[in-house]
Amino acid sequence: MNAQTSNVQQQNGAAQVAVPVATHAKVDTKGLPEKITIRNLEFFYGDSRALKGISLSLYANKTTAFIGPSGCGKSTLLRILNRMYDLYPGQRATGDVLFDGDNLLRAGQDINLLRARIGMVFQKPTPFPMSIYENIAFGIRLYERLPRAEVDSRVESALRRAALWDEVKDKLNANGQSLSGGQQQRLCIARTVAVKPEVILFDEPCSALDPISTAKIEELIDELKQDYTIVIVTHNMQQAARVSDFTAFMYLGELIEFGATETLFTTPRDSRTQAYITGRFG
Amino acid sequence: MSEVTLNGAGVSGAEATSRAGVLRRLRTTDIVFHGLTRGAAIVVLLLLSGVIISLIHGSIPALGAFGLGFLVTEVWNPVTEQFGALAPIYGTLVTSFIAMAIALPVGIMVAFFLTELCPQVLRRPIGIAIELLAGIPSIIYGIWGLFVFAPFLQRYVQPALIDTFADVPVLNALFAGPPYGIGMLTAGLILAIMVLPFITSISRDVFDAVPPVLKEAAYGVGCTTWEVFGSVILPFTRVGVIGGFMLALGRALGETMAVTFVIGNAHKVSSSIFAPGTTISASIANEFTEAVGELYTSSLVALGLILFVITFIVLAIARYMLLRLEQRVG
Repeated sequence: MNAQTSNVQQQNGAAQVAVPVATHAKVDTKGLPEKITIRNLEFFYGDSRALKGISLSLYANKTTAFIGPSGCGKSTLLRILNRMYDLYPGQRATGDVLFDGDNLLRAGQDINLLRARIGMVFQKPTPFPMSIYENIAFGIRLYERLPRAEVDSRVESALRRAALWDEVKDKLNANGQSLSGGQQQRLCIARTVAVKPEVILFDEPCSALDPISTAKIEELIDELKQDYTIVIVTHNMQQAARVSDFTAFMYLGELIEFGATETLFTTPRDSRTQAYITGRFG
Repeated sequence: MSEVTLNGAGVSGAEATSRAGVLRRLRTTDIVFHGLTRGAAIVVLLLLSGVIISLIHGSIPALGAFGLGFLVTEVWNPVTEQFGALAPIYGTLVTSFIAMAIALPVGIMVAFFLTELCPQVLRRPIGIAIELLAGIPSIIYGIWGLFVFAPFLQRYVQPALIDTFADVPVLNALFAGPPYGIGMLTAGLILAIMVLPFITSISRDVFDAVPPVLKEAAYGVGCTTWEVFGSVILPFTRVGVIGGFMLALGRALGETMAVTFVIGNAHKVSSSIFAPGTTISASIANEFTEAVGELYTSSLVALGLILFVITFIVLAIARYMLLRLEQRVG
């Protein structure tokens, strides 16, 4: 599974872990269903290559974190998964990204449908310029013609799912942009959940939020993985360690190391991973 | 150089005096400069109030003679000295309405194409072409409208419209009568072309101000381009687009030269948009040279006052809208 076959550098691994690293790296992934499989993925901004031969798997109902210093390509990788890069001319990807076995990079892929199946939550909260209720109902109505009562109940369940219902149930007609930053971000999560995706991508969802809102969102992510496959890009290593089951460390457009989060943080096999997670660069 | 001590500490007496002199001179120039800029600003206010006062003063005879009935009287007869502003007001509103009804959707679509869909290579040429459209003097639109556009409409477009709507209730009155070529529709179309650049350039600016991440979020729930435009971009920029609309409307209401060429200059209120009519500014431009007698002149000035009030209201709304947009963006 691991693309990286660099030398095992046990002397750099955390001293308290006695178990050999190789066994650790192999252990957890066996038998887990793969939701998304990335093979030899390359990405180009015009002529410059931003991702180099990425191969990794995202497991169903698990949370995978992408970590790495700024500019390492982790957000780029995330934005390939729902083909957000398509909006910008001159950006292209090669390789395979199999989503339930279907290559989502292939031409003729229904991108709107794809984005409904792979939802995304952004760094900055992005409520649409409409009421709280409409923010959620909007996405639902894009795909389904439902009677009003059913839309109501979908909106409520989405808001409950995002732990926002109690805070907004009395002001569903207020503008979504009038909420606080943390509430806005949960509104965006509710909006994403309401469309019933299979995968949710989080692009640094907490970087604009205070610690309390961050804690709420992290809690939420942990609950959401029962129903969804979650991918999160984060700058915050503690956050990656807290919320994810698997972690991919990227550096300069390459996947340096991928493995179970616990293993990667306690016994990294690559010296660069070691250096990054101990805060020596990045 | 390092010690800039103004109160003379560490500097000899003579130097201190000369520095004080320099400072005094600098202060004088500063005061003069202040005075000049303030004076320039006040001149604007004086001019504006001067215009308003002379408009009101000039229209007193007409308004005194006809009262508020001036606003709703269609008759405009220099021989019997009966004047009413209904036809010019009606013509002004109808031509502006036609212009905005066409220019608003087209302008917004052009702006959206330029900001979202246009290939990078085409973006600048189309943008420049739009701005050039705004730079064409209105007299050129006028002669083009009279010699090229009106005959074209007369020959091809108007007969077809008349035939098409001949049996439809309401619409047959709207598209009725002989195809003169010149008339309110032609004037409205010319105005549409003239205000299009205003709407496009303001819409383009406000569309550009939509945060990319908001658009990505909308695409992210699976919206098509059309849905992103209708549900996110347009609501987000609504205030700015309305502001641009108002500015364009202000231009359309006051445009004189091009309209005078193609509207036909008839003081009539007709239900058909093919019929010749007149607008406030076209009436003034056409008739002030032949206006003999106090009441005739005064009636034209009163027309000017009415246009001033209409335009002022429209521009005030536009400013207010744009102000609100800036507050929200900033």
